[in-house]
Amino acid sequence: MLRRTLSRFQSGSGVGEGRDRVSILIPFLIICAGLGVLAWRSYELSVRMERGANTLAVQFAGYAAEITARRVDAAVRAELSRANDEWQQIERGSNTPDDEAVRQWINNNEWIVTAIYVPDHDPASSVYVSELAVAKPNAQRLNREFFTSSGTVRYTFDPDRLLARVHSSIRQQPLIRTAGIPGMLDLEQRAEVSVVSAPAQKGLMRLTNGFAFISPLAAPLQAYAIRAAVPTSYAGSGWANQRLVSLLVSLLALALMSIGAVLALRGLRQEAETTKLRGALIANVSHELRTPLSMIRLGAETLKLGPKLSAKERSELEDQILREVLHLSHLVENVLDVARIQNQQARALAFTPVPPRDLVSMLVTSYESWIRSKGFTVSVDIDDDIEPQMWDRDSVSRALLNLIDNAIKYSADDKRIDVCVRQTNEDVIIEVRDRGIGIDNRDLDRIFDPYYRAKFSDTQTRRGAGLGLTLVQQIAASHGGRVEVDSEPGRGSTFRLLFPRTMSNETARVPGLIQSKPLPS
Amino acid sequence: MTSRFLKTVAVATAFSAAMIARAQEPKCRVPANECERSIRQMLSGRRYLGLDIVEIKPGLVVKAVRPESPASRADFQEGDRLIAVNGKSMEKATAKVFKETLAEARQTGRLWIIVLRRGAYKKIEARLEPYPQEYIDKVVSGHLAQAHGVATTAGGQK
Repeated sequence: MLRRTLSRFQSGSGVGEGRDRVSILIPFLIICAGLGVLAWRSYELSVRMERGANTLAVQFAGYAAEITARRVDAAVRAELSRANDEWQQIERGSNTPDDEAVRQWINNNEWIVTAIYVPDHDPASSVYVSELAVAKPNAQRLNREFFTSSGTVRYTFDPDRLLARVHSSIRQQPLIRTAGIPGMLDLEQRAEVSVVSAPAQKGLMRLTNGFAFISPLAAPLQAYAIRAAVPTSYAGSGWANQRLVSLLVSLLALALMSIGAVLALRGLRQEAETTKLRGALIANVSHELRTPLSMIRLGAETLKLGPKLSAKERSELEDQILREVLHLSHLVENVLDVARIQNQQARALAFTPVPPRDLVSMLVTSYESWIRSKGFTVSVDIDDDIEPQMWDRDSVSRALLNLIDNAIKYSADDKRIDVCVRQTNEDVIIEVRDRGIGIDNRDLDRIFDPYYRAKFSDTQTRRGAGLGLTLVQQIAASHGGRVEVDSEPGRGSTFRLLFPRTMSNETARVPGLIQSKPLPS
Repeated sequence: MTSRFLKTVAVATAFSAAMIARAQEPKCRVPANECERSIRQMLSGRRYLGLDIVEIKPGLVVKAVRPESPASRADFQEGDRLIAVNGKSMEKATAKVFKETLAEARQTGRLWIIVLRRGAYKKIEARLEPYPQEYIDKVVSGHLAQAHGVATTAGGQK
């Protein structure tokens, strides 16, 4: 499929411009596609990397929270059982623990607020001691009791103070760091571990800049939890964000590629149209060729009958043959010239000083019989003071002839043609004006295209190959000039050839021309 | 010389007086009624049996029975060896295990205890009972007298 498309691109031997565009577009498209694929791949990779980093952050937060929570649990348990053991030591030391013993125990464990010792054998002789230090007014209290061999101890304690006691186990935290390892992104996963009381939600939480995991503590501190927050800092903003950049690049490549595809398609369509036009040309030209040929043959055959013809008939036939030969050669010249132009071969131009007056009047004179035979009258109006111009005589004559030919072809009842040569400060202008059918606005843009024949007016019935105006324009361009058209459908058209004015004694070189020796003619 | 001796004695007397005054200063800085409320909260509703037991590794033996207690009403005697409480074997248990078993039974308050008395097994049914009010009052007044230096508080006669 691709290959076919490519070969179609390459084998299209169409109009030069279109072909160039296509041949530039193919590598351009390939590069864009490659760039797009690379950028998309990079986007995908960075997304995957980000996802991986997120997963790591989540897991790390979970581990940090869980590990710290279990560590705190163990420390709390150890602290509680240490207090327990301490009391048992005191109890064993004094046979019947009294006020002082309990007070000593509370002093040793500053997180205990109040305690009561109830001996089994005589509950009435319980010992109660309240804390010595002043407690915070709204501090939370938790109850706890344990049994000894001779009694029961119940105490209340302040969980905040207990946690403060085991705080050293909270501050130890694992750390993951890739910064400084060559070939790795600058990632640092540091968990901020803290104790929260009565969390609204347990487990994983998404923060704006990372993740947090909340892991509850075991009894008796079940109201508390450890929160580990892991910031993820890889997703920067602007150019630091690889994901965003590669997404943008891939979008850009996509946009470029679609532009290229649109242009290529347009080139293809133009080429197809040119092919169609060329088909039309072949039909046209063959028709155009056949008619004069048959006329010539007919004339020649009649002449061969010889003696029966009067002198007048004979001269008429000769005129007719001559006319048709002229027409034929005109047509062939046109076709050849256009073909040359299309193949990018500059027709060798011989720039010589040409007085426009001579050129125009000679041309009109030499074709006057032909023009008159069509029933037209030509009025020539030439300014007197026009200097000789550096022109290629043949080309300019051909251009003017084509314009006159068009004027004749596309005329209606009013068979007048005005040829006018003027001079302005910049230009020498040759104007051909007819009163024919005119050109529809919709055709105006395209009448200079090769093989194009106006569609929106009564054109198709007239002879022509669609090459005349193309040639006129090419000739004007090769002289550094241009063609202007004023036209009104039904009222007639005015074609103006504008050549840049050159001084008589100056052999100016018009830019962009290929100058060569005059052809040996 | 004499005046100096008198001076020394006077200083020593003043010092010892200060020490005594300091010793009799209330030990509990929390208000007395606060302490009383706390004690009543800690002891009220708690049930007790009134047995004093001793560990004889392995096993538990009744050391004393509190008179007027649920234990004495259930006919415990000194020297009874505890075999089982509420279906749990006590033959090798420690005092802590026994108390935890009692604590578990605190909801219903019913106890089925098998004891070994003079070579014979005996089944005893007992009930845990709340501390009598006078026990709690006694604890409160004891604490107040010792730590606060007062006989009773306004809320004490509840």
